[in-house]
Amino acid sequence: MHSLSRLVVAVLAAGWSVPLAAQELALPLKRGSVRFAVIGDVGTGDRPAYAVAEQVARYHRVFPFTFAILLGDNIYGSERPQDFLKKFERPYKPLLDAKVEFHAALGNHDDPNQRFYKPFNLGGERYRTFKKGNVRFFVLDSNYLDPDQVQWLEKELAASGSDWKIPYFHHPLYTTARRGPEVELRAILEPLFVKHRVNVVFQGHEHVYERIKPQKGIYYFIAGGSAKLRKGDVRPGALTEVGFATDRSFMLVEIAGNELHFQTISRQGTTVDSGMIRRGGVPTLAPAKASPARTKARP
Amino acid sequence: MSITHRCRSLARIGMAGGLTALAIGCTEKRVDPTAAPFAEFTRRVDEYVALHNAAAEKVGPLDETKSQAEIAARAVALGYAIAAARPQAKQGDIFTIEIATVFATMIHEEYSRRPPPVLDTREDTQEELPDFVPKVNELYPTTYPLATFPPSLLPLLPRLPEDIVEYRIVQKYLILRDVEANLIIDFMPNALP
Repeated sequence: MHSLSRLVVAVLAAGWSVPLAAQELALPLKRGSVRFAVIGDVGTGDRPAYAVAEQVARYHRVFPFTFAILLGDNIYGSERPQDFLKKFERPYKPLLDAKVEFHAALGNHDDPNQRFYKPFNLGGERYRTFKKGNVRFFVLDSNYLDPDQVQWLEKELAASGSDWKIPYFHHPLYTTARRGPEVELRAILEPLFVKHRVNVVFQGHEHVYERIKPQKGIYYFIAGGSAKLRKGDVRPGALTEVGFATDRSFMLVEIAGNELHFQTISRQGTTVDSGMIRRGGVPTLAPAKASPARTKARP
Repeated sequence: MSITHRCRSLARIGMAGGLTALAIGCTEKRVDPTAAPFAEFTRRVDEYVALHNAAAEKVGPLDETKSQAEIAARAVALGYAIAAARPQAKQGDIFTIEIATVFATMIHEEYSRRPPPVLDTREDTQEELPDFVPKVNELYPTTYPLATFPPSLLPLLPRLPEDIVEYRIVQKYLILRDVEANLIIDFMPNALP
């Protein structure tokens, strides 16, 4: 990225979030809340991937989430048993040992047979839904959005009585990154999301963090930079609310009642974005508030 | 797809595949020109699925497991069993010339309606794919990413038995892939513009 663009991205991020020191928690830790981590494109097995995994585990100590969602590209390259060990089981061992559930979506680098790999919790299916508290998640296979899957999604969205409806999948519907949005997917999915009042969508594929300005009332997050990084690949402009493309990152999310609190953290443990989205009516985003409960995540 | 639209397709298919007489019939009787080739395609896929199921029964079912070794071993065993059950399989067994002509016409038409940004995205997704010449009865290389299949194209093509057979596009090839065995069942060269 050109230095000017990098500056603009940094200003955007700072403008929307309360600058936090390294390893501080910007989430309210409310009783009974739904807490999870969002990790995308993790499956490289290289040093940055391990560094992010360590940081996620460090934050888990102060923000005890019970599950994590994986946004696809869970295992890059070969998918031998030793690859699963090196690219997933070893880096995320502390969380697996702590009984954190991983709920994976399939990316374009993933063999669809990953659906049989128990730690990914796909239950033998390419797409599925699960519920946590007042939140219904819809795990989609954006590699192969066939009519059966679309029909299933429409039925499940319509039947969901949950307060929060959160689809997640690999390919972004909106992004400024180099490969661009999947407009064909958008043409099919967005009308369903709007019709059934989806609140927030998480996606990966692009190796950056990007928070898109609400589109038709829906917040889109791209968090595909949890191992690979495409430096500077966010183009500030009318579409992006916050972008971060200078290091790897992951997200922590807490949903309490009608509020979704989020914090995006770099590999170094620095908060690069945070805020709160309120459900109902026009989506509003408030900067994260300082809280007496804010806790430092120390190793 | 509307009958009128399919008739237009037929005219093109007729020119491409020597089916002029059928095409003329369409304008008069409004016959769906894709019906017969699609039915034949589905029949051939069903035959393959019966063979797949027989092989899967021999290999045994795969349930969720913590062992990736088990998943990989089962895929390989299934692939070998299927390949052994159709040793003479060759390109064009399912995508016969007539079927391939219909598919190619539909795909080319669908692509011709795409706005430039969609075509650009499609090209970008192909960037990650290596030069790859598919072969029937061979594994789809697991180290290669799978290109996203154009979701607007899928509803136009005959439905496939979910999670057993799927379409894939690599470069200009349309591939029929066995999902569980990761095996190339058949392919069509020059399916894409």
